This record gives sequence, C-alpha cells and structure tokens, in this order.
Amino acid sequence: MSSRRSSSRQSTGGVSRISDDQIIALVSKLRHLLPEIRDNRSDKVSASKVLQETCNYIRSLHKEVEDLSDRLFQLLATIDADGAEAAIIRSLLM
Amino acid sequence: MHLPHSTLKQEFVKKWIMGLQRCKFSNKKMSIFERKKAIKLSADTAMASARKGLTCWSRALISNPDRPVPTTTRRASSACKKIVKRSRRIRRTAKCGAARKGQITRSIAQCLVRKRTQILKSLIPGGEFMNEVCLIEETLDYITSLRVQVDVMRSLASASARASEPHN
Repeated sequence: MSSRRSSSRQSTGGVSRISDDQIIALVSKLRHLLPEIRDNRSDKVSASKVLQETCNYIRSLHKEVEDLSDRLFQLLATIDADGAEAAIIRSLLM
Repeated sequence: MHLPHSTLKQEFVKKWIMGLQRCKFSNKKMSIFERKKAIKLSADTAMASARKGLTCWSRALISNPDRPVPTTTRRASSACKKIVKRSRRIRRTAKCGAARKGQITRSIAQCLVRKRTQILKSLIPGGEFMNEVCLIEETLDYITSLRVQVDVMRSLASASARASEPHN
C-alpha cells in the first residue's frame, strides 16, 4: 500500500491528481461498462467526462437497487409459505 | 482480482440466502420499515462479503452498511455547471491570447477533475480514504459488483412476480 502511494506521488509530482495514463487505463475498462463512452469512437475522452459518467452510472445503479429492494419487499410479502420462497431462490441457482 | 460475472453472481446469491435466512428468525418483531431496510441491507452485505475482504470498498461497506447517501452532490454539480459556463465564456472571448486561453481551460479542466473526483470518492464506500490509483481500481470493482447485485435482484423480482401470479 505504501509503495503504491509513493509511486502515485512521483507520477503526479506531489499533487494528488489522476494522471493521464491512469485515465487512459480507466477509460479502456469503463468503455465496456458505460454505454455513453462505448458509443464514442474517438480515443480522446476527457477525464472529467469519464468521471462524470462514472458517477452518474453509480448513482443510477444505487437507485435501481433501492427500487428493486422495495419491489422485492412487496412481492415477497404476498407470497405465502416458506416452501414457495425457498423454491424461487433455489430456481435462481439452477 | 477481477472475478468473472458468473462466479461473482453465485457468491452473491449464496451469501444473500444466508443473510435472508438469518433475517427470517426476527421477522415477527420487525416493523415494515425495518423489513424493507433488511432486504437492501442483506443484499449490500452479501455483495460486499462476496469479495471476501479483497477490496477496500467491500470492507468499508461491511463495517458501515448504513452510511448516508451523499447529499453534497447538488452543491458540487452546480459548482461544476458554473465552471463549465465560465470555460465556455472564456473560449468565446476573442481578446484572450491563445496561450493564456489554453492555460485557463487547462486549469478549469483540472478543477473539474478535482471536483468530480471528490464526488466519486463520496459514492464509493470508504472512498474518502483512498488515493487516486486505489480509487480507480475500487470503482471498477464496485461497479462490477453493483451490476451483479442488480442482475440477481431483478431475476428474483421477476421470478417472484411470476410465482405470485394466479395459475390458470
């Protein structure tokens, strides 16, 4: 961990900023995950744009988890008996 | 360190079932609000424990599963909008010399990156303690795990919806 910290200090000249190489690595990986950046064919994507899209995507995933939790609560409450719930969960594993 | 989607999915389902079974025993004493929270809490804990302590965000989430959703985003996003407006105004001004203009837009870009990095740090569990390199790796892993979580919860929701339909 300390070696990682010192190497980042060297590469960014003592200023805690994301370097261009790190952004390029991030973009290539995020490209597979984020539809907005995947559709953008050019290699020049600005760091701030990548960060913005990442934050928006994480927020949308959080919201989806919240909504799914509420929906699951309502659905599971209407199903009777432990047997049915266990069968559904088992079917997920198949 | 990056697991394939299917392996992570199986780990998550396994851990979530364990967590849900533990919830069941205290079902009768729980309020509706507590039961709602329990589903999300068990899903988040399962997602984090599926990483088996290998990532910072998962350890942070397990130690603090009830962390509040960041509310500073509105302030930060309005600050970002002001910065973008200012940069557009500067680019339109013909009186600035080219070199000076380049300097200004570069420093504005740096400011944007700094602000957005702060926002990202507030979204990742334990992010405020990470350096930039760590933050990027943790972000990728966190997004992958969130997608698995959403995937499994969606499957369970559609399976439950089908099961609760009356049979003809």
